[in-house]
Amino acid sequence: MTRFRMVAPIAVLALMLTACPASTTSNSPGASGGAGSSGASGATIEVTSLWGGAEAEAFQAVLDAFTADTGINVTYTSQRDEYSTVLSNRIEQGDPPDVAIIPGIGFLRSFAKDDLLIPLADLGLDTSALADAYAPNLSDMGVSVGTVNDVPLAIMVKLNSKSTIWYDPSRFSENGWETPSDWDGLVALTDQIKSDGATPWALGASDSWTLTDWFESIYLRQAGEEAYDTLFSADGDWTDQSVKDAIATMTEILNDDNVAGGIDGALATAFVDGIGLVFSTDPTAEMYYEGGFVGGIATGDVNDALVSGETIDFFDFPEIDGSGSKITVGGDVMAAFTNEPGVAEFMQYLASADAGKAWVAGGTIISPMAGVESGDYPEAVQKEATQIVESDLARFDGSDLLPGGPDLGTVLQTAIQDPGAVDGALSDFQTQVDDAWAELNG
Amino acid sequence: MSDASVAAKPLERGSGMPKMTDGVSWTASLFVAPAVILLGIFLLYPTISTIILSFENGLDNYIRLFTRDPNFFDVRSFPPTGAFWNNVLWVIFYTGGCVFFGLLIAVMAARVRYEAFIKAIVFLPQAIAATALGVIWRFVYFQQPKTGLLNAGLGVFNIDPIAWLGSATWVNTSLIVAGIWGSVGFATVILSAALKGISTEILEAARVDGARESQIFWRILVPMLSLPISVVAVTLIINVVKLFDLIFVMTKGGPGSSSRTIAFTMYQEALASRNFDYGAAVAVVMLVVLLPVMIYNVRRFRAEKVVQ
Repeated sequence: MTRFRMVAPIAVLALMLTACPASTTSNSPGASGGAGSSGASGATIEVTSLWGGAEAEAFQAVLDAFTADTGINVTYTSQRDEYSTVLSNRIEQGDPPDVAIIPGIGFLRSFAKDDLLIPLADLGLDTSALADAYAPNLSDMGVSVGTVNDVPLAIMVKLNSKSTIWYDPSRFSENGWETPSDWDGLVALTDQIKSDGATPWALGASDSWTLTDWFESIYLRQAGEEAYDTLFSADGDWTDQSVKDAIATMTEILNDDNVAGGIDGALATAFVDGIGLVFSTDPTAEMYYEGGFVGGIATGDVNDALVSGETIDFFDFPEIDGSGSKITVGGDVMAAFTNEPGVAEFMQYLASADAGKAWVAGGTIISPMAGVESGDYPEAVQKEATQIVESDLARFDGSDLLPGGPDLGTVLQTAIQDPGAVDGALSDFQTQVDDAWAELNG
Repeated sequence: MSDASVAAKPLERGSGMPKMTDGVSWTASLFVAPAVILLGIFLLYPTISTIILSFENGLDNYIRLFTRDPNFFDVRSFPPTGAFWNNVLWVIFYTGGCVFFGLLIAVMAARVRYEAFIKAIVFLPQAIAATALGVIWRFVYFQQPKTGLLNAGLGVFNIDPIAWLGSATWVNTSLIVAGIWGSVGFATVILSAALKGISTEILEAARVDGARESQIFWRILVPMLSLPISVVAVTLIINVVKLFDLIFVMTKGGPGSSSRTIAFTMYQEALASRNFDYGAAVAVVMLVVLLPVMIYNVRRFRAEKVVQ
C-alpha cells in the first residue's frame, strides 16, 4: 500500500507529461488540405452544415456531382443540434471546417467581426459575376445578404419560402372553406372556421422564430420594403408605430380565441408539434403558417399518409392593403474559413445552375440560381419554387439579419401573451439591439 | 501547502537532520504538485481569464447587465423579474422544498416497516440524468390531456387544461416542482442517515417527560439535525445557482424570457450568441453570488474540525 502511495503521484505526473505532446500534434489547423499544387484535383475539403436525413442525402448528390466534375473530394460533416455552438467551438479551437453553410446572417457577423472568414475576393471569386448567377428577383439578395461592412464574405446557396400557409384541402372542401387572397379574407376565414366549431390555427411558438416569421411576413406587406430594410439594419427603430401596428395586426389572428390551446398553449408547443396539431392523424386545428419546409417535415416525420395537393397543401400568405406579391424567404449562406485548395472551386460550383439542379432534385430545397427551372424540381416542391420565382419582390428573413444576442422572438412571445406589455418590451429590445450593433461595429 | 511549510520549518534551524526533512518536504511537494497543477490549469486559469474577459469593455458589461438587460435583471416592477431573480426564486423554493420534503419523508419513513422501499422510490430520480428528467416532465406538463399526465389528472376534476410551461405565471413553479422531484431523494437519504444517528434514549426521555410528537420534531429532531440540514441546503444552493440543464431542455428560457436563469443566460450570451465578454460577465456574477455560500461552507468545515 505504501509503495502504491509513492507511485501514484508520479504516475499521474507521467500521464500528464505524455498527454501534452499528443494534444499539440492534433492541433494544427487546416491539415486536411493535402497537396497544394496548382490544380486542386485530389484535394479534400470539409463542409459542414446542420442537415441530416433526406436533406443530407440531397446535399450529398451535389457533392458527388462536384467531385465527378473536378476530382476534388468533399467530406460533409453534419451537426444537427446546437450547430452554432459547435461551429463556434471548433473555430475557437483552431479546427474550423473549410466551408460552413450557415443559417442566419446575424451569426455570420460575429465571425466577420473576429476576421475568421475568408472574403470572397481573397478566394479569387468575382462577386459581380456571382450576383448575376442568381434568379432575377433574387440577384439583389444572393451576395448582399452575406456582405458585412461592404466586404462580401458569403453567398446564399439555398432558400425556402416563408410565405406559405399550410392546410388540408380535403377538410377545406368538405367544410366549404375557401383560401383567401388578402388579409381581411384570412381574418374572415378564421372567423368562419371558428363559427363552424373548429379551431382555425395551430402555432408552435415555444420555438420563438415561428413568431418572428409571422411578424416579418406582416411587416413587409404592411410597412413596405423600405421600412423593412431599415428596421432590420443598425438604423432600425423598434419603437416606431409601424412595428406596433404590425404586432397589432398579428394579434388579430394570434390570440386566445383562434389558436389551439390558447396563447399559453401555443407558447408551450414546439414548431414540429404545431405541425402535428394540423396534420397528425388526430388533428385539432386547421391552418399552420411556416416556411416551405413544413411540407417535407409533415409528410416525412409527422404523418406519412399525407398526400401532397390532396391532404396537405399551402396557399400564399395573403397580401395586406394591396401590397402585391411580396414574400419573405429564409436561406442559408456559405462562407469559407480556410483558403485550402478546392475551397474556391467548391464555392464557385455551388453558385451554379448545375449545382442547383443536382440539389433540388432531392426535393428539400429551392435553389436561388438562375437556370434552375420549375421542371427540375420534384412535383411536391414545384409550387413553392414557382411562388418564389414569380413573386414581385423577395426579402430575406429579417430576424436572421439582426446581430446575435437580443431575441426578437422573445419580445413577440411577450407581445402575444400580454399585449399591454408591447411598448415596454419594444423599447427594452431597442436598447439591447443598439448594444448588440454597437458591439459588432464598435 | 501549509503542511509542507510546517515540515520545512526545522530546516531553518540548521543542525538537526537536514537530509531527512529535505526529503519529507520534497515528497510533500511531489504529492501536492499534481493537484496544484491540475487546479491551476483547469480552475484557476479559466477563472482568471474569464474575469479579465468580462472587463474587456471596462465596467460596461456589468452596467449593461444590471441596468439595460431586463432579461437578466429588471427591478422596475414588483416582484422583480429576469434571470437573476428567477434564480433567487429557485434558491428559496427549490432548496426549501427539497429540505422540507426530504426531512418529512425521512422522519415519516423511519416510523414504518417498509422504510427502505419508500427511500428507494424517493431516491430513484437521482439515477435519472437531468436532461431525461426534463423530457419526462415536459410530457407531464403537456397541455393536451392525451399526453399531459397532469392535465389528464385535472380533467378528472373538470379543470381545464393549463399550459404549464407556456404560461408566464406558471412556468417557474412548474420547473421548480420538477427540480424538487429530481433532488428530494438526495436530501432524504442524507437526513435519514443523520436521523439514525440520534440516540433513541433522548427521544424516549422526551416522551417519558410527556413531550408531544410535534414538540419532539421541532425542539429535538430539527435542532439536532441542523448540521446535516445545512450541508444539504448549501449543496443544493450551489447546484441551483448553476442550474442550466432543466431550463435548456424544458423551456429554453421561455415563454419570453420568463424562465431564464443565470447559467442559462451565460450560455445564451457566450455560446449561442458568441458574445463572450458579456457571457463572461454573467459567469462572474454567478461566481460572486456563490462566493458567500462557499465561504460559509469552508468555514463550517473548519469549525467541525475544531469540534472533532
